[in-house]
Amino acid sequence: MDITRRGFFLISTGLLSSILIKDNAHGKEGRYATLIDISKCDGCCGEPIPRCVLVCREQNKARFPEPKKPIHPYWPRKTYEDWSDKKGMINTLTPYNWIFVQKVTVDGKDIFIPRRCMHCDNPPCVRGCPFGALTKRPQGNSVINESLCFGGAKCRDVCPWHIPQRQAGVGIYLHILPKYAGGGVMYKCDLCKDRIEKGEEPACVVACRDRLKDKAVFTFGERINIYELARKRVREQGLFLYGDRQNGGTSTIYLSEIPFDAIEKALASKKERFQMPYEVRNKIQTTFNPIGKVVITSGFLSIAGAVVSAIISKNREKGGDEDARKD
Amino acid sequence: MPGRIKRHTSIEILEHWVLAASGIILIFTGLGCLPLFKRYYITEIPGFAWTGDFNTVTTVHYTASIFFVMAVCFHILYHGIKKEFGLLPKKGDVKNGIKVMAAMIGIGEEPPSDKYLPEQRIAYIGIGAIILLLTVTGIIKVLKNLEWVVLSPSSEALNTIIHTLSGFIFMIAFIIHVAIVIFFKSNWPLLKSMFTGWVDEDYVKHRHSIWYEKIKGKITQEELTEPKETEPCKEEENAHKDNN
Repeated sequence: MDITRRGFFLISTGLLSSILIKDNAHGKEGRYATLIDISKCDGCCGEPIPRCVLVCREQNKARFPEPKKPIHPYWPRKTYEDWSDKKGMINTLTPYNWIFVQKVTVDGKDIFIPRRCMHCDNPPCVRGCPFGALTKRPQGNSVINESLCFGGAKCRDVCPWHIPQRQAGVGIYLHILPKYAGGGVMYKCDLCKDRIEKGEEPACVVACRDRLKDKAVFTFGERINIYELARKRVREQGLFLYGDRQNGGTSTIYLSEIPFDAIEKALASKKERFQMPYEVRNKIQTTFNPIGKVVITSGFLSIAGAVVSAIISKNREKGGDEDARKD
Repeated sequence: MPGRIKRHTSIEILEHWVLAASGIILIFTGLGCLPLFKRYYITEIPGFAWTGDFNTVTTVHYTASIFFVMAVCFHILYHGIKKEFGLLPKKGDVKNGIKVMAAMIGIGEEPPSDKYLPEQRIAYIGIGAIILLLTVTGIIKVLKNLEWVVLSPSSEALNTIIHTLSGFIFMIAFIIHVAIVIFFKSNWPLLKSMFTGWVDEDYVKHRHSIWYEKIKGKITQEELTEPKETEPCKEEENAHKDNN
């Protein structure tokens, strides 16, 4: 029994230590954050395409999907998601457009909101992907691995902002059960993962600064500095914050002169495809984790119960044998 | 007069059914955690609308895992401490297991068996390994969501894939296990025992002759005749005889 027990503990310790690779691991919060000051954004007025959108498309064009046609519907449904004939669309998120500038009018004033993935601190898309296709990087960005993604679109369903976008006719599902499971590959902003890993800024941040210089909408940097800067501007200029506590906190914070609950209402009344809900609870933290604690606790209680019951049972059996011998 | 022999203790019966019930819920909600139910209209079945909401499905999955983890932990520790290793495979189990399976479909004779059939021991270690893998990767997922352990991106992805794939294997193993019990009459006494704890002496004599030899000296007259009110009825006895 000693060997079995020792073996069990060795295996468990080995498994646990192999997954705890600290140097490459992310903490709760990533290293970087982006500040998006929408009080400064004019949607690149006078230009055909907002600079952030233009440069994002340029930066990522080699990664855009090239679906194999004809694309088959998601059996037994008759539908499928194909954006390949709408590659030029820039006023919404698509597999070919990972950032867009949303225009909304609040109290007669036009405001422009660059919209892309918020890169949450505890991202439901990453935690919920059943194929491990989404990962959260130490830099704070959530990244989709196009070669692992089945295109089930669960990440879009669990994302409070429904950011990831699906393209059918591409991806691993075509090689497994194309008719019955999977639906393509999901695409979204990954905060220019290759650039930020090298210490560079995301392309949209650079493009915005090129145009607006010190009045740029985007500021990218160490998270602690970005958060400090944002809070300072809230204190000094009476601006409003968004993204610091929504969904348990994110690596993208918006600053605005207009309260975000008013922006939420304006977007909701327009029935916009991409909303900005003000109250966003992180279900992992509020719902799953309390049950998770019960799972762990009851596991330990069960171990204790097993040890006690086994000892009692052994003693009882021993007692029985002794009685039998006496007889 | 044929007697009855204790095969499953109340603890074993409880472990089995807690694992089975939570396992069914975990398989179902595990499938629901994949984006399948909406696509396949499961959400449109009356009473199944909740299966389209990932948060609800995950909440049920988490809740069922409490019982699954408890059963697994209890099973390993309880039987480990009691040194009850009769279900671990022995030399020659593969060969004899094939013979038992062949006999189930009417080819050849079953080799004499101990308390457990050779194919039961192989199935136990196979399904046990999958359950252990699912439990460990599932617990890692829970700990990772709690942020009590911090995983590297690739480790988190690997753990997730292992959990999903072993879930599929568990589902297949579960279906095979249930099918083998239900579709082969020779296994029915074992199913009955998984509810009552008792098997007929005749069954043990014929199918588990090695075990019978070991225990027959220890079977008390009381065990052979008790409990009277739950003795097998004539039809069951006849069915049992036909079977053997």
